[in-house]
Amino acid sequence: MSAKQIVMTLMMLAIVAASSLVLAAEMPERASLDSMAVLFEGVEFDHAMHIDLGEDCSTCHHHTTGTGTTNERCIRCHADSDEVATVGCRDCHLDNPFSAENINREALDRYQFHIDTPGLKAAYHWNCVGCHEEMDGPTDCQDCHARTLEGDEFYHKNASATGKSGH
Amino acid sequence: MSGISRRRFLAASVAGCAATTLAGPKKALAAGSFTGYPDGMGVLVDLTRCIGCRSCEAACNKEQNLPAPDKSFDDKSVFDETFHGGKQKRRPDENAYTVVNRYNPDGSDPLYRKVQCNHCNEPACLSSCFVNAYTKTKEGAVVYNPNVCVGCRNCLVACPFGIPGYSYSSAFDPVVKKCIFCHETRLKNGLPPACVDVCPQEALTFGKRKELIKIGHQRIQTHPGRYVNHLYGENELGGTSWMYLSPVNFDEVGFDPNPGNEPIINNVKDFLGTVPMVLAIWPAMFTGFHLLAKKREHDKNNQDTEKQHGEEGGDQ
Amino acid sequence: MKSLIGWGSKPVDSHVNEKTDQQWSLFRKLMLGLTPGQYLGQALRNPFNWILGIIFAIGLPLIAYRFIFGLSAVTHASNDYPWGLFLGFGLFTMVPLSASGFMLGTAVEIFGRHDFEPIERLALLNGLLGYLFAVIYLLVDLGQPWRLPYPMVVSFGPAAVLFLVAWHVATYLSVQVAEVSVSFFEWIGWLGGKRFIRRIALGLTVSGIILSTLHQGALGALFNYAPGKVHPLWYSGSFQWIFFFCSSIPAGLSMVIAVSTVVKKTMAWRCDDNFKENLDRCTLGLAKGASLALITYLAIKLIGVAHDNEWGYLATGWGAWFLFEMAVGVVLPIILFAYAIRHQVVAIARVGAFVTIFGIVLNRLNTTLIVFNWNLYQEIPHIFEVIIAVTLFAVYVVVYRFILYRLPIIFSWKEQPQEALAAEAARPAPIKTSNAPIGAMYRKID
Repeated sequence: MSAKQIVMTLMMLAIVAASSLVLAAEMPERASLDSMAVLFEGVEFDHAMHIDLGEDCSTCHHHTTGTGTTNERCIRCHADSDEVATVGCRDCHLDNPFSAENINREALDRYQFHIDTPGLKAAYHWNCVGCHEEMDGPTDCQDCHARTLEGDEFYHKNASATGKSGH
Repeated sequence: MSGISRRRFLAASVAGCAATTLAGPKKALAAGSFTGYPDGMGVLVDLTRCIGCRSCEAACNKEQNLPAPDKSFDDKSVFDETFHGGKQKRRPDENAYTVVNRYNPDGSDPLYRKVQCNHCNEPACLSSCFVNAYTKTKEGAVVYNPNVCVGCRNCLVACPFGIPGYSYSSAFDPVVKKCIFCHETRLKNGLPPACVDVCPQEALTFGKRKELIKIGHQRIQTHPGRYVNHLYGENELGGTSWMYLSPVNFDEVGFDPNPGNEPIINNVKDFLGTVPMVLAIWPAMFTGFHLLAKKREHDKNNQDTEKQHGEEGGDQ
Repeated sequence: MKSLIGWGSKPVDSHVNEKTDQQWSLFRKLMLGLTPGQYLGQALRNPFNWILGIIFAIGLPLIAYRFIFGLSAVTHASNDYPWGLFLGFGLFTMVPLSASGFMLGTAVEIFGRHDFEPIERLALLNGLLGYLFAVIYLLVDLGQPWRLPYPMVVSFGPAAVLFLVAWHVATYLSVQVAEVSVSFFEWIGWLGGKRFIRRIALGLTVSGIILSTLHQGALGALFNYAPGKVHPLWYSGSFQWIFFFCSSIPAGLSMVIAVSTVVKKTMAWRCDDNFKENLDRCTLGLAKGASLALITYLAIKLIGVAHDNEWGYLATGWGAWFLFEMAVGVVLPIILFAYAIRHQVVAIARVGAFVTIFGIVLNRLNTTLIVFNWNLYQEIPHIFEVIIAVTLFAVYVVVYRFILYRLPIIFSWKEQPQEALAAEAARPAPIKTSNAPIGAMYRKID
């Protein structure tokens, strides 16, 4: 049960494992981001459409692929960084960023600069919703991923409708 | 001085000493200050990230088996609820260990603040509890033992953040209800609390408290202008395991802007320190007064020898 | 009762019925020497009993209601005001008003002020009952009152101020029971018990001072847990416990004056001449003590304002409220007491005592309820909470009256000297504890 609770998250999304393997070599047209979906369905991400909208790859992929980053804080180190082999979000952004293992590793590594890397879920939401707000894209939760029955139960969907909930 | 008086003096002194030993532990525990267990965990709440989705409330409700809510957890109308003539927003209580409140400082974009137990390094609830129902665990949680609680609610009075709630509605088993950092089900197994797990925005960052302090300051430093330069809870009231970053002054989002850095227990140390002194000194001092008074009376009685005062069964 | 005395009844004040020359039975003693019919008759004729009856008719069911349905049924169940009237009045006010026991105990037993003896027993009883009812209020307020002994036997939180309060109030309650038991032993006629208590009286009194100093102060120190919640004018980081201790002195003394005034007015038949003749003198003496303590209290309150530099607050609305409390609750009684002492007007001293009590009640209710959460909102207690608080106070009055009617508190018990000597002779020769003549113990009865 507790293993399930680890991944019990709101608006859970995940890149399919296979997609990351192929990303470096070829861009996927679509990606199913659904490995962590519990309360919400996964997202069918239209990569090709977003490529058309985006200015360049680094808007989403930071320094890891394509044109490289222009963020002044990042380019101090990553100006000349090579493209990396795998550029899927979850290769850097962990789907369980607060696991004991991860927390202990970060605490022990005194030379690590990126001590505040967001987890996968946050990375998606920041990247997607931040841009959607600027570009007038959809921003409501269920615009991107429908809530599951489990999600309805989790949020006590019927409580407001019936006034007093059943207790 | 007669033999009897001497014996009385000794008896009174012994009584005082016995009482002093009884009070011994008070002083011992009142000493020193505690800044948290070295590997204590904490959560950094970043108000710039919170979108007010209330998922943390839902997760808490499920994890802690709390009663079903009156309104669904995606109902945003709760942010408009105020109580007591608009003076108070929602607060944690027996039915909800955490609540999110909305603030609109200067009419700008809304800010949301999650409220829950801050899990102080030196908790006021713990230090005010006369049956030791509270424990600060080595993982950083402040947990509560309902099996010894008498229900005096001193912890509710003492908590500077207004967190603990009491299940007043229960006639036979009322207990204090508060966030326990999911200690039993998660924290002690190395898992983050349910609210952190569910947060879509990572507005809640879980980690070792001392690392979170570094992360908090790093965020302030690397995002000039995004935050006010203060990590609330780093030092407040002796430090808390849950800490906050805010884009506006903390009083604009419902915090006590200046609670001081002294833990609450320091306020009672002065008094507790006087306890053994009173216990030790009073018996001797007042017995001494008594003997002085008797002496005077005795002298007076000698002068007019008629009447003997039989106080205390008579003194000579 | 008054009218019965008019018809020739005489309230019990000795073991022997003077008319029949027979020993009173315990039942007849409880009936004040009346027949059950007479007793019921006089009780029903007293309009005050009807008022009490109405209070109990409403209040006692409410108390049962509270225990069946929980605190939220009779209070607002506030998490912001966890302590309502039951503690704000019942504990935090009743305890200082009951400081009389240790004050008079100290004056008589320690400082040898035997001129206060006529009123000492009343002061001791006032102390005992006040504490007893503070605990009863507490029991009504506690979420799980059946766990009251937990801090003594199950789980210890010795670093908590409340732990100290619990231990000290419990211990002091026992001390007071012992002190008052002298009257009880006289009443049931067990002289050994009385002798024993008289022998340990000094020890009891000294422990009474220690325990009182600490727990009167501790009640104040409890608010040191809530520095941000109590308005700065009523809060002092350094002096809170001294404020509470110091103000308990005039509170306790004034309570004795007030109670003795009521006693004199409403149960003069029960007072003996010793009590009646000495009351005015004792009242002025108590007033002197109370006024000195009030002056000290006023001084340290001012020091408190200066120490924390709170002058700015005085100009606010809360400041006006503070000044009102100080003016009416402290300065006014000082003036009244001073006038009364200077011109030997006992009535003014009595008014002063009632005003002092008002001031103390105001101060404690301020600290616990009114200026508590001063920057939040004001909690108005639930009507049921008020009724229960009043009912418990009525029970207090009834118990107080019940004891005053029977035990030799405001009158002296008439011993039979032969009987006492016989009881003494029947005992094995005591270890050398006292070389005073036995008769000296009955000095108050001659």
